[in-house]
Amino acid sequence: MTGLYLKILSPEIIVALTGALILIADLFDPAASGRKTAAGSTAGEADGAAGRTDGSADGNARPAPRSALAWLGVAGLAVAAVAVALLHKYADSYSSVRICFGSRLGPCPLNATFLDGALVLDEFAVYLKYVFLAVGALALLLSVNALPRFTRHTAEYYALVIWCTAGNMLLASAGELFTAFLALQLSSLPLIVLIAFAKRDPRSTEAAMKYLLLVLVATAVMLYGITLIYGSLGTSTIAEIGNMLAEKAASHEPLSAALTIGFLMFLAGFAFKATAFPFHWWAPDVYSGAPSPVTAFLSVGSKFAGFALVMRIAAAAFFASHASADWSLIFGILAAASMIFGNLGAIKQTNIKRMLAYSGIAQAGYLLVGIAAASTGGTSATLFYIVAYGLANLLAFSVVIALINTRKSAEISDYAGMSRHSPLAAFCLTVALLSLGGLPMMAGFMAKFYVFLSAAESGLIWLVVIGVINSVIAIYYYLQVVWQIYVAEGSDSQVCVGRPDAVAMALCAVGVFAIGLFPEPALRAAERAALALFSWW
Amino acid sequence: MNAAAPLMGLPLLSIIALAPLVGALAIALFGGNPRAPRVIAFVSATVCLVSTVVVWTGYDRAIGGLQFIESVPWIESLGISYTLGVDGISIPMLALMSIVLFTGVLVSWDIDNRPREFFVLLLLLVTGVFGVFVAVDAFLLFFFYEMAVLPMYLLIAVWGSTRKDYSAMKLTLFLFAGSALLIVLLALVYWQVGLGTFDMRVWAAHGFSSGFQHWAFLLALVGFGTLIPIWPLHTWSPDGHVAAPTAVSMMHAGVLLKIGAYGVIRLGIALFPEGVSYWWMLVAVIGAINVVYGAFCAMSQTDLKYVIGYSSVSHMGYVLLGFSMASGAGAQWGLEGAVFQMFAHGMMTALFFALIGYVYEKTHTRKIAEISGLMERTPLVAAGFVVASAASMGIPSTSGFVAELLVYIGLIRTRPVFAAIAFVGVVITAGYLIRMLTSILLGEPSIAVKPLTDPRPLRALPIVMLALTIMAAGIFASPVYDTIASGVLPLVERLTGG
Repeated sequence: MTGLYLKILSPEIIVALTGALILIADLFDPAASGRKTAAGSTAGEADGAAGRTDGSADGNARPAPRSALAWLGVAGLAVAAVAVALLHKYADSYSSVRICFGSRLGPCPLNATFLDGALVLDEFAVYLKYVFLAVGALALLLSVNALPRFTRHTAEYYALVIWCTAGNMLLASAGELFTAFLALQLSSLPLIVLIAFAKRDPRSTEAAMKYLLLVLVATAVMLYGITLIYGSLGTSTIAEIGNMLAEKAASHEPLSAALTIGFLMFLAGFAFKATAFPFHWWAPDVYSGAPSPVTAFLSVGSKFAGFALVMRIAAAAFFASHASADWSLIFGILAAASMIFGNLGAIKQTNIKRMLAYSGIAQAGYLLVGIAAASTGGTSATLFYIVAYGLANLLAFSVVIALINTRKSAEISDYAGMSRHSPLAAFCLTVALLSLGGLPMMAGFMAKFYVFLSAAESGLIWLVVIGVINSVIAIYYYLQVVWQIYVAEGSDSQVCVGRPDAVAMALCAVGVFAIGLFPEPALRAAERAALALFSWW
Repeated sequence: MNAAAPLMGLPLLSIIALAPLVGALAIALFGGNPRAPRVIAFVSATVCLVSTVVVWTGYDRAIGGLQFIESVPWIESLGISYTLGVDGISIPMLALMSIVLFTGVLVSWDIDNRPREFFVLLLLLVTGVFGVFVAVDAFLLFFFYEMAVLPMYLLIAVWGSTRKDYSAMKLTLFLFAGSALLIVLLALVYWQVGLGTFDMRVWAAHGFSSGFQHWAFLLALVGFGTLIPIWPLHTWSPDGHVAAPTAVSMMHAGVLLKIGAYGVIRLGIALFPEGVSYWWMLVAVIGAINVVYGAFCAMSQTDLKYVIGYSSVSHMGYVLLGFSMASGAGAQWGLEGAVFQMFAHGMMTALFFALIGYVYEKTHTRKIAEISGLMERTPLVAAGFVVASAASMGIPSTSGFVAELLVYIGLIRTRPVFAAIAFVGVVITAGYLIRMLTSILLGEPSIAVKPLTDPRPLRALPIVMLALTIMAAGIFASPVYDTIASGVLPLVERLTGG
């Protein structure tokens, strides 16, 4: 069986090894080894230079961007993506009896559990694994030119991003609460280091400190919740929990207080990861303090990890019980509050990283709308929204990072006149913001529409109304940035976009339009993934 | 068969809707040469105009209903298809947009501030508008509608004047607020019909419960009505007209407002007949307020663009009055009048804004008090003002006369009280327009007007074209009227029969 486990975990293993490989490759890099021997005497100076904010003077002292390692990482993640594609084959060889459904959606879906349900390989897991791999690869590309600004430890940085990705991927197929917890830790802990990576910048350290404390609190609360669930039901396997709740529902036995509290505490851990109400307030501080490529990674990868965690449990456990309407209401309230707090907070921001942090809170709200719908359609809408939001947000950050690399500033007023001196970057940022705002031709329009449509199907009209009102508010602050870009007069210095950034930017921009104009393939994939979660119906 | 026969095999509606988009892409990619953008835009506009003429002449009024249907599956998971088609209501709107686009490109010929971006955005806007008029799928209609809003924002914010940032943002937020209601409407109707389709033909065939019809109609009325604009949600509109650059004002007042009215017909009246009969009083009251209040506001303006901006509010009131009759015996008069008014008002405001834009460009003022003696300096512009005002006042031999006549016949027959109230609007309209005309056309040329001369042929062409269309539609009204009637008739049958 060990061979099988190696096979079904091969994507995560490949990712983890890629991280190690980068560290090893770094040892053989002549430029890097020269730097390391000299580190004893000049480290302080060099780091000081890297931390300074005046551009040209320390240009020579800075190490050149080392894109080879990043491309190595991207290649590793690509190999892992191939391994994910091969999972179908392994699972088929493992289980001979399979129930096949959904001919319209393509071939027979993947559906297998391993290790007594601790690992689940289904379309949902596969879908999210692809998403996390893509997010990781784009985060690597966006880091290349930004890294020399704040650190010399390039290899370590890339390795941490990649390991974090491995944690996210594992989380996607965790079918048991303690496995999920472990995977969540693997996904959170590298982030603490990453946020603190600009060690000469006090804001970075402060952000990492905040994140560390909150991660500890959130995971402690969550772990307590898990033990309460385990204590009440005697199992921690999500599928089992679902069955037991369904039995309780059949015999009209109410949920015990311990169980309810356990679920609520579990939700707290999720809300922290997903920057959803009521644990959203750390996001603006941490996002603005962290080095910007880390912010980009955090705003997408970490948020989706939260959703990966909660969607499986919501579908299997919360909505299987007779209290499903109550849970739906709770998710609806979280969604509404996230949208309202996020959007109102974003209006008066002058720093684009803070604005995107608040907008990310609001977007977590839209993502939650699909979960609150408590249906295949809703889950599928959330999964589709994940892709649309991920592409648009990374596209926005690719431009933000390029501007920070050029001018060391993240103020919205620095975008004034951008359309004149850097029309392509300006266009990309506009597309990203408009997609986040939900304008047609861009992915966000389709995603928002789908989410609201599925919420209406479940009768959550009040949530749809709150959602659409919020999208009007959101348009206002996104347009403020567009106004700066196209209308305001400003500096004439061109924004330099490095090659890896340009690749990431182009991929995201093409993705945003492709999904906005031809959403059918992505919709079907999301639908397949959602069906996997609700196959018990 | 006519000369256009060989063209009938082409996917004409797609060409109309997508030619501007292709033009916009071409300008974005190859518009480096300073003259290229306007030439490409002109070519797109010409393609649209020619295709529209072919569609109008090729449309078989005897058969009626939706024709030139094109259908391609688009998002099958949700039952969304790229389905286009036109009937007697959409064809005049297409014609309106084509003419306004063609003339709008010509009046923007000499734009020197970032022409490339200007024409890209203008053509994107136009794609959205055309798309709304040819869409048969409700999602597609909404998609195109939202597409038109953002270019509008940038066009006003970058190339506009007079509080442009404020007006642009106000307009955008109002339109998005309206469209937010439409998302709710679409989602509700989609699940209510329950057939997994956004095809409006299927929706129209569905029997909705009365309670649902009441509320859904109200959603459509307010959602699209923001764009008409209905009182009291009208305030963005005059501000937007004034702030926008000339071509955009022409499109904005000329065509964009019609999207609102068109949407109310397609997603309101056609789907929810009981909703109309339930709310007819509200629609009629709002319509009457629009007519009278808009006229009063126009009377007190000193800026030419604001006069026309509020007169739009007033004139769109007739469209609402027409809608209010849809539930009763006057349905045919009312709807025909409403659609004719949409067409007529589009032409006259486009002409007004083309004229005002030309005067403003040369004199840098739009204050009525600072302009006089246009007749002496530039007879052509003066003649244009007279034709547009005549249409606006509803004087015979202009398209405005036919439209108002239809509405008033219906009103007097079925809702005489509202006819009496609305008639106050006619008097005030005549009052402020004649006062405006005497002030700006007659007398000695003021200092500002001194440098003004007749426009060169390129700039004169839009004025002549629009003025001739207005007269033609007024004198030889039957081609326009018959087309509209063929589109309205099935609707009337459904409204009165069901």
